[in-house]
Amino acid sequence: MKRRDFLKYIGAGVVGTGAGLAAAKIASPPGAKLIPYLIPPKDMIPGVATWYASVCRQCGAGCGILVKVLEGRAKKVEGNPLHPVNKGGLCARGQSGLQALYNPDRIVGPMKRSGDRGSGRYTPISWDEALKTVAGKLKGLSDDGNADKLWLVSSSERGHLGKLAEEFMSAYGSKNHIEYDLFQNKNLKYAGGVTVGTEDVPFYDIENTKYLLSFGADFASTWLSPVGLSHGYGQMRQGGGKKSKRGVLVQVEPRMSLTGANADKWVPARPGSEAILALAIAREILAKGYYRGSNAGAWKTLLAPYKLASASKATDVAAETISKIAYDLAKTTPSLVIGGDALSSYKDGISGQVAVNILNHLAGNIGRKGGVLINPERLLKAGKRAILKNQKMTRFIDASLAGNAKALIIDNTNPVFTIPKSSKIMQAIREVSFVVSFATFIDESSAMSDIILPTNTFYEDWGDDFTEPGVGMGVATIMQPAVAPVFKTKSRGDIYIALAKAQGGKLADKFDHGTFNKYLKKSWKKLYNSNKAMANSALTFTDFWNRLLENGGWWPKSTPRTRTRNVSVASVKNYLPKAAAKFEGDKSSYPLNLLVYPSTGMYDGRGANSPWLQEFPDTMTAVVWGSWVEINPKTAEKLKIKEGDTVSVSTPSGSIELPAHIYAAIRPDTIAIPIGQGHTQYGRIAKDRGANPLEILPFIEDKKSGELALNSTRASLSRKGRAKKGSDDSLVRAAANNFEYGRDYTKIISPAEFAKIGKEDV
Amino acid sequence: MRIRTLIICFIVLVVTVLIGYKLGDTYLTGRTPVQPIEFSHVIHAGDNGIPCQYCHIYAERSRHSGVPNVRKCMGCHNVIKTDSPEIKKLKKYWDDKEPIPWVKVHNLPDHVVYPHKRHIKAGLQCTECHGDVASMPRVSRVSSLKMGWCLSCHMEKKVENGRDCWTCHI
Repeated sequence: MKRRDFLKYIGAGVVGTGAGLAAAKIASPPGAKLIPYLIPPKDMIPGVATWYASVCRQCGAGCGILVKVLEGRAKKVEGNPLHPVNKGGLCARGQSGLQALYNPDRIVGPMKRSGDRGSGRYTPISWDEALKTVAGKLKGLSDDGNADKLWLVSSSERGHLGKLAEEFMSAYGSKNHIEYDLFQNKNLKYAGGVTVGTEDVPFYDIENTKYLLSFGADFASTWLSPVGLSHGYGQMRQGGGKKSKRGVLVQVEPRMSLTGANADKWVPARPGSEAILALAIAREILAKGYYRGSNAGAWKTLLAPYKLASASKATDVAAETISKIAYDLAKTTPSLVIGGDALSSYKDGISGQVAVNILNHLAGNIGRKGGVLINPERLLKAGKRAILKNQKMTRFIDASLAGNAKALIIDNTNPVFTIPKSSKIMQAIREVSFVVSFATFIDESSAMSDIILPTNTFYEDWGDDFTEPGVGMGVATIMQPAVAPVFKTKSRGDIYIALAKAQGGKLADKFDHGTFNKYLKKSWKKLYNSNKAMANSALTFTDFWNRLLENGGWWPKSTPRTRTRNVSVASVKNYLPKAAAKFEGDKSSYPLNLLVYPSTGMYDGRGANSPWLQEFPDTMTAVVWGSWVEINPKTAEKLKIKEGDTVSVSTPSGSIELPAHIYAAIRPDTIAIPIGQGHTQYGRIAKDRGANPLEILPFIEDKKSGELALNSTRASLSRKGRAKKGSDDSLVRAAANNFEYGRDYTKIISPAEFAKIGKEDV
Repeated sequence: MRIRTLIICFIVLVVTVLIGYKLGDTYLTGRTPVQPIEFSHVIHAGDNGIPCQYCHIYAERSRHSGVPNVRKCMGCHNVIKTDSPEIKKLKKYWDDKEPIPWVKVHNLPDHVVYPHKRHIKAGLQCTECHGDVASMPRVSRVSSLKMGWCLSCHMEKKVENGRDCWTCHI
């Protein structure tokens, strides 16, 4: 090396080190700042959490929650251990509620439409202007004598918010208040009215039952009150908390759900024939003389048509299986029969739910511990909005298409996404000259509105929930703001009050509540004064209210009441199915039955904007971030479809494309698609991801109950393209495959062997 | 100049920049940052003998020791030494309703939790980690705050579960 070069290297080294030191000085910490409070908030210690008791609104179950708040920010949610519904448990959807609160696509302030309806283009306006515009439109309508042409479609609210909305509508002069959500168990309620005389959903005491026969009730994922019922199921499997025999679960459904996967026996009956199966079991109970109640002769005559041989043929279930279920159901005490969404989603879905209650009656389960417990009357009586025939969406669609809807309020519900396109819901909303949404996100429905008034999430709002179903006793849960509104949003209740105030006259006088919080407290004072058990639980109302906020709600400290109710022959005779359910589409061009089911994470679609829920693998298929169609391996082989291939699913109402998932636990004549993906709006996480099966369903609303018959169409499959790895629409699964290659991960043991094992060996 | 010399010069430059950056990052910066107000612990904690937890009020109740809120400063400085240029800066923050953007001297990464409460309950003195702050006109970091430093103390004092990952990384 030359001396000259050596010096050059030394020079470069010096320059380099100097530059490095300087860069470190400029770029490295201390960058972090330590920002003190100017004036510290009262009763708050940074770094020490405050837990607020409230209610979860991620689905309709009404679980009690505790929200962990640090420095004024909600950081974590857990189940409220005191709450009788979920007993401290909380599901994935409940946990992900924080991502609704902090979602980057939340509406941060009032907005005015600047593009076409449905385009989702809006410009921000002030609250003053927004409220003035909406109030002005409503005033104009009622001044013209068209008050009855205002429609309100809101989410299902069992608490005082629903009552306030109902009062608003009736004071305004309109009867057109529809509470709409996709899963409202309307057939279940209607069948309850027919058989046991109450439309309130009963409490299914799974915990204490010894034999559970479920017709498509996926209580482990989404049905009714998944956390509470799953807790009961866990107890049942361990002998109901006592050292007695573990309960047995039999699941009847064409496509195995998570509940089906946990069952001792999975009975894949032919889709649409489940009601026939239930009644064949009922007939068998009578024929074999297992029935111990009155009127055996009349029941026998009524159920005579559901003969074992013909039912076996219609349902594709072996006659011995039917007899065995009948024997086990009648001879095990207590036993319990439940019927879920899958059962009530056929045409004439009421008949299935009625059949379930007939079975419960014949097995002696109604009003018995470990059976069906009728809930006492609710603490807050349900108003007119809870009457099933008032909740039909066809009321609005027909009225609007006939020109009888001039203004529409959509309050935190998404009918455009959840009602099949064939219903003409879009045209019906387009017909309305003024549409306003109370919404947290721009979803498919709020994108149709002219003005959006942004609402608080349930972590930021006051409210309450009178849980349905109760747990054999009335449960009231209070919603209190755990955090101050993150954005410029308002309480839904406050919006109703503000709109009423702006109308002036009688309406304004009636709504002199001040704020929704005050209205809520006043209403609770009324409840406290009229309810003996509440009044006895605390000396003064202030004391009672503080305890209410501390415990997260109010529920009596008693065990569920058991009251026997008999189902009469006369009440059910008009609700028996003559044959298996009918389907849209002829068998030759549409050879497969299409089932749609609520996805564990997305539920009715509202979970799709949460990255946590997108990321969490589906419980049965392990698919993440997308949607899929489940196809039996035999059917797939016949159609030459492989895992991940893009297929087109067609029904008489339309077709969608999505990747195929080969799923062994489904009947070969059936395909299934989860509901929840395929949003065209609803923020960056949900939008343009997967496909929405509701788009290709026929619109069939039950004439009596108003429930949508989602599983009432046939479909055909055709392959569109081969699986592409890494493309946006490909199938991504958290599990590489379904095989363990002889590595013996899954231990299999028969119930008989299991019973032999001592507790210490387990 | 030949190409080879240029390449070697370049390599030397890159290597030394990295070394220099590392050295600077470790030894030259962050220890004694300049603060928005020349607050002196010598005057407050030293000369006037104000106890640490008179200002850092959350230390025995929370994981954070807490930096005093601006109202607390103004509680005294409404009347004390109001003509000093540094107090005038404080007054300006208060009048503008702006919190003071202090620069962190002890900055832990997000994956470590250091609860002040537990350490005070265990009988540790503030000075054991923070040094003799009462003699520092501008606060300086005397401990490395590296994992080895934490562990050596945990082991020396035989802290229960003191070597468990989850004790600090929760």
